[in-house]
Amino acid sequence: MVSFIRAIRFALQNIWRNFWLSVITVTMLVLTLLSVNLLLVMDFVTSRATQYVEDRIEVSVYFKAGTPQEKAMNALAYLRNLSQVRDVQSVTADEALIRFKDRHAGEEAILRSVTEVGRNPFGPALIIRAKSAADFPFILEALDSPQFSQDIREKDFSNYEQIIRRIQQTTDSIRLFGFGLCLIFLTIATLIIFNTVRIGIFIHREEIGIMKLVGATDGFVRAPFLIEVILYSILATVIVSAIVLPSIAALDPKLNLFFSGYSMGIVPYFQKNGWMIFGSELAGLTVINLFSTYVAMRRHLRV
Amino acid sequence: MIHLKNVSKHYHPDVAALRNVNLHIRPGEFVSIVGQSGTGKTTLAKLLFAEETPTRGQVLIGGWDISNIQPRDVPFLRRQIGVVFQDFKLLPRKTVFENVAFALEVAGVAGRRIREVVPQVLEIVNLRDRAHRFPKQLSGGEQQRVAIARALVHRPKILVADEPTGNLDALNTHEIIELLKKINEFGTTVVLVTHNRDVVNRLCKRVIAIDHGEVVSDVEEGKYRI
Repeated sequence: MVSFIRAIRFALQNIWRNFWLSVITVTMLVLTLLSVNLLLVMDFVTSRATQYVEDRIEVSVYFKAGTPQEKAMNALAYLRNLSQVRDVQSVTADEALIRFKDRHAGEEAILRSVTEVGRNPFGPALIIRAKSAADFPFILEALDSPQFSQDIREKDFSNYEQIIRRIQQTTDSIRLFGFGLCLIFLTIATLIIFNTVRIGIFIHREEIGIMKLVGATDGFVRAPFLIEVILYSILATVIVSAIVLPSIAALDPKLNLFFSGYSMGIVPYFQKNGWMIFGSELAGLTVINLFSTYVAMRRHLRV
Repeated sequence: MIHLKNVSKHYHPDVAALRNVNLHIRPGEFVSIVGQSGTGKTTLAKLLFAEETPTRGQVLIGGWDISNIQPRDVPFLRRQIGVVFQDFKLLPRKTVFENVAFALEVAGVAGRRIREVVPQVLEIVNLRDRAHRFPKQLSGGEQQRVAIARALVHRPKILVADEPTGNLDALNTHEIIELLKKINEFGTTVVLVTHNRDVVNRLCKRVIAIDHGEVVSDVEEGKYRI
């Protein structure tokens, strides 16, 4: 215990004596973690944005005029049994006519033409929402069965799939770029840690020599360098959490506004998973830094 | 206490620092190892605190064969052998007290014990009033006394001094040798590696002469003679 406390003291001395080197090292670790968090936030926001779009995709299936409501209800029951379908709403022919009139209120010519037909020109309709945009082709194919296809006049499927694909392509590009950025920062941070330890060994070579001479164990000589990088990792994680948490708190209302009041839930997400996110980042960073230190000590510290 | 049996040390196959050295140093002895530069004196000293291992032969310290000592055992050997060098090897940013305490700190000795022992050792080397000075504020002789205090702080049974007076003037040299004699009188075996003729002649203790890596003479109460 006494030796452990002394090793921590020596580690703190190392950090303090090489203050600017420590600052650079921590800065690189902070940049690495920031890029990881940026990637995380991007991933979260794009998945929520995709969800937002998917939630709003619906297919309208229009039955031919004069089709009995019962047939539409059969189709509705059939669709509700499909696992790909989230929700189906039915619109009767009368409701369709009322909606049409409401939509074109004030457009005399249109309303007159409907009256001139003398009967309800609309059939019943179904409004279908799928669990995922990728499910729509299956649902549309299901409605092509002879049981329903003869009565269906039109299937109105706006090309949402393309929009989602575009979002996903953009997201994948950003994710790839972010991943590359993470790798670059991580490589630089690892090299800097390696160099910091190497310089630390070089600066303390006299002290290390004397430590060995007066009977310090290998572990005692190595421990301050290992503790030093653990402290760097902790400090970097604390700084990053101090940057990221207020930033997402500031970003959240703007994102909600952008998505027309749809809650992105990024703050609750970090509130719920913050310990796990920053804990994992700390653990990962520490493991990488310890590995880098181990390699530096193997190469440069002869004990 | 110290046994060297047929010890040879080769740094390269063709370069022998020591050749077939046989020595026995008894507990409480004061032994001077003399010889000109490059004859293998320092190599012999390094073998005693496992800075080097012999190419052939056996080195026994208190019955412990350290010829092929495991790296993990070296710290425990060094806590039993005090070592003093010509260049003092003090930490410039630490005070006298901290330099001496450092040897105990790295061995995991408790702080309270350190605060007890260090002043006692500084008293022995007559530096108690210099405890809070830094090495650069001391004379060469005083710095060497700090190094001796650090070597003594583990209460070693053996003190190896490799050219401890090499950087000192005559007065300081005399002080250091008197201190080593005092330490020897307390029962510590002292191995003094030197090429200082006056020091050896004045000591009138056992003298082992080395030349070209071989022991060429071993005389009780001897003089410097090569």
